[in-house]
Amino acid sequence: MRAIYLIARREYLSYVATWGFWISLLALPVFMVIGASVPILIENSKPVRYFTVIDETGRGYDHMIARDYEESSRESVRETLKALEALYGEERVAEALTAFDREDDLEAARQGALDALNLQDGQAGLSLPKSQEVQVDPPARDLAGLRPYLVGEATLATPEGQKPLFAAIIIRDNLERTDENPSPIILDYHSTNLTDVDLSRKIRSILEDDLEDEMLRNAGLSANDINTLNNLRPEIRSYNPAEVTSADEEVTTADRLPFVVAIFMAFILWMAIFSVANMLLTSMIEEKGGKVIELMLATSRYSDILIGKLLGVAATSFTLMGSWMVLALGASVLGHQALMQLDPDLAGLFSEIFTVNLLLPAAGYFLVGYLMFGATFLALGSLCETLHDAQSLMTPIIFFLMAPMLLMSMSITASDSMVYSVASWVPFWTPFIMMSRLPHEPPLWEIIGTTAVMLVTLVLVMWGASAVFRQGTLGQANAESVKLFFKSLVSRSKS
Amino acid sequence: MSEMALEVSHLTKSFKGKAAVRDVSFTAPRGQITGFLGPNGAGKTTTLRMALGIIQPDSGQSLLFGKPLSMKTLDRVGFLPEERGLYRKMTALDALVFFGRLKGMKAKAAKTKALEYLERFELSDAAYKKVKTLSKGMAQKIQIIAALIHEPEFIILDEPFSGLDPVNQSLLESIIREEAQGGRTLLFSTHVMEHAERLCDRIVLLARGQKVFDGSVDEALGTVPRQILLESASAHDLSQLLSPFGTVESQDCAQEGHHAWRVTLNATSQVQDVLKACVSAGVDLIRFEPIRPHLHDAFVQLVKASPVPNSAAEPVEREEV
Repeated sequence: MRAIYLIARREYLSYVATWGFWISLLALPVFMVIGASVPILIENSKPVRYFTVIDETGRGYDHMIARDYEESSRESVRETLKALEALYGEERVAEALTAFDREDDLEAARQGALDALNLQDGQAGLSLPKSQEVQVDPPARDLAGLRPYLVGEATLATPEGQKPLFAAIIIRDNLERTDENPSPIILDYHSTNLTDVDLSRKIRSILEDDLEDEMLRNAGLSANDINTLNNLRPEIRSYNPAEVTSADEEVTTADRLPFVVAIFMAFILWMAIFSVANMLLTSMIEEKGGKVIELMLATSRYSDILIGKLLGVAATSFTLMGSWMVLALGASVLGHQALMQLDPDLAGLFSEIFTVNLLLPAAGYFLVGYLMFGATFLALGSLCETLHDAQSLMTPIIFFLMAPMLLMSMSITASDSMVYSVASWVPFWTPFIMMSRLPHEPPLWEIIGTTAVMLVTLVLVMWGASAVFRQGTLGQANAESVKLFFKSLVSRSKS
Repeated sequence: MSEMALEVSHLTKSFKGKAAVRDVSFTAPRGQITGFLGPNGAGKTTTLRMALGIIQPDSGQSLLFGKPLSMKTLDRVGFLPEERGLYRKMTALDALVFFGRLKGMKAKAAKTKALEYLERFELSDAAYKKVKTLSKGMAQKIQIIAALIHEPEFIILDEPFSGLDPVNQSLLESIIREEAQGGRTLLFSTHVMEHAERLCDRIVLLARGQKVFDGSVDEALGTVPRQILLESASAHDLSQLLSPFGTVESQDCAQEGHHAWRVTLNATSQVQDVLKACVSAGVDLIRFEPIRPHLHDAFVQLVKASPVPNSAAEPVEREEV
């Protein structure tokens, strides 16, 4: 026990007392924050797209598009104002909404709403949404005249100063209508930005709705009928009969959350086990290269070294994950408290994210998975002199380890498939696949069975790894021995 | 209490059908310095590994202090392996404390003892330096300290002198002597006979995986035929005169008119009989020099005379399986 403790302690300190460890510890939350912020930053930093519409049909499509844009902008401001009820109270928000609706000009309406709330735009992180796409009057009536504005040679006066034109849409009559293409109009979309297709899609969608309404009007339907027709979308109410106590309650996002979180945790589990086992592999190769092993063997048993190393790296990874978990729980609690004021439903979701029902099995599966893969990697490391040796041995194992990841990603919506159930019996995959299946409440016999097979395999792996480690550490076996072993198996099976 | 620190009996080990060690038995008596000698690939390291349970023998057994191997008995042993290294990112002091603690020392005691040994090995300045910054010789001395730090009763050093410069070899020799004077048992392997000759009370010689000699240094030296170098200024034919005492070979002689011979004595002949014969015959002796045998000669002699094993396979020090 003394040797195990000392070896584990040395192993632990060799990782923890390095800058790399602390950088890794901070890197995940930092990258998660950056990862979550980048799309928002990109969206917020996206320049306002100024576009113009030339309607050559003379049917007023350009004005209709402008109206639609204004209405959707107004609607999103109203939604935002309603969401502020939790902060400012119903009465003040109602006043703001009235002030907003009173003004015909959108900018004046926004300002009116802000004044009613005694707010300045952007104060306390709050701002009323503005459309990122703004329609402007065409600076020229044909493409030749518009081209300089589109390529940046000429600019338009905008509230933000002189800006080029992002896109020009020319609406023309479709003179070649067929049964396959019965649309009466054609949109010519001109822009130097070939990747951002949001604007063209939105314009087409607006015109599509209008053309449908027009057709229905021509068919003799009243405005009310058309409105009703547009809303003919059956409502879906989901129930979960397994929830006896709340059979009459609809399934909510909170009910679905454990399934998503379980798969997320299975992925995290996979990444954690894989990266920690890799740490063991590289540390073992370094140790072998440094020829420390024999000096260690003069003081400790093989099994002490193997277990000590496994525990030391496990403690390192638990420190990493424990720190992340504390950070995550802190963020969850803070997020929950902050959201309770704004959106109690969303806040409820926060408290559902990490439950004991998921965390306990996750810890168990991590431990078993880590020991299985850690011992395997450690044994392989003992056979290798260099990382290059390790790579050749690791490749088939990595493919084997990748399989549950692929299965998990394919089975997100079909976790009850037979293939997925069978795969969960493969002991090396059990920790990941069963983790993702747990919220689906698989039969108890399956949980017990897969766990038993996994534990038996763990014992066999530890025994085998210990034997390989014993041979590998003193150079009595190496990477070549593994290849020879498999070659002899193949030739034996052929004969 | 057993008189022997180590008793190995009939140790045999093969790797992939190739014999590395064949039926080796020997003892390391308490309080003595035993040299474990043999040419490269003789099976010394494999035998020491088996003796300490690092690898399992195919047959035979090893007793430490008269008892089967256990962590308790192994804690009383300090071992410097042939393949050695240290954790490169640790400081010399931390590495020594770590190995001391693995041998059951308390952290504080290990630190005190480590600093003491570092001073003794003239390494005080290196105590807080990382191992990777030390020279090869300094690192080797740290490893030797790692084997001694817990003040074991029995110290096994596998090729302790290799990699050390003459000054440090001399330092290590004096430390080995000090440890022996302190009542400790030492067993060290080497193929540099001078160290063994100067230090050992007794030697065990291995060749081709088999033990070919086990006894005191004097006994080993006794296996070397005694020789005498003679030079005369007279015209006597000493090859005829001295042939009853052994083999007489004529030697080149630098001095004109002088003659030189080398006499390899028979087992029964004595040096003084040769001198008496020369004097009686009126040989004008310029030089009469009995040659003192060295362990090196005994080593070469014994290794050459060792039987080639029946197995066609050559013994190997270590073989991959």
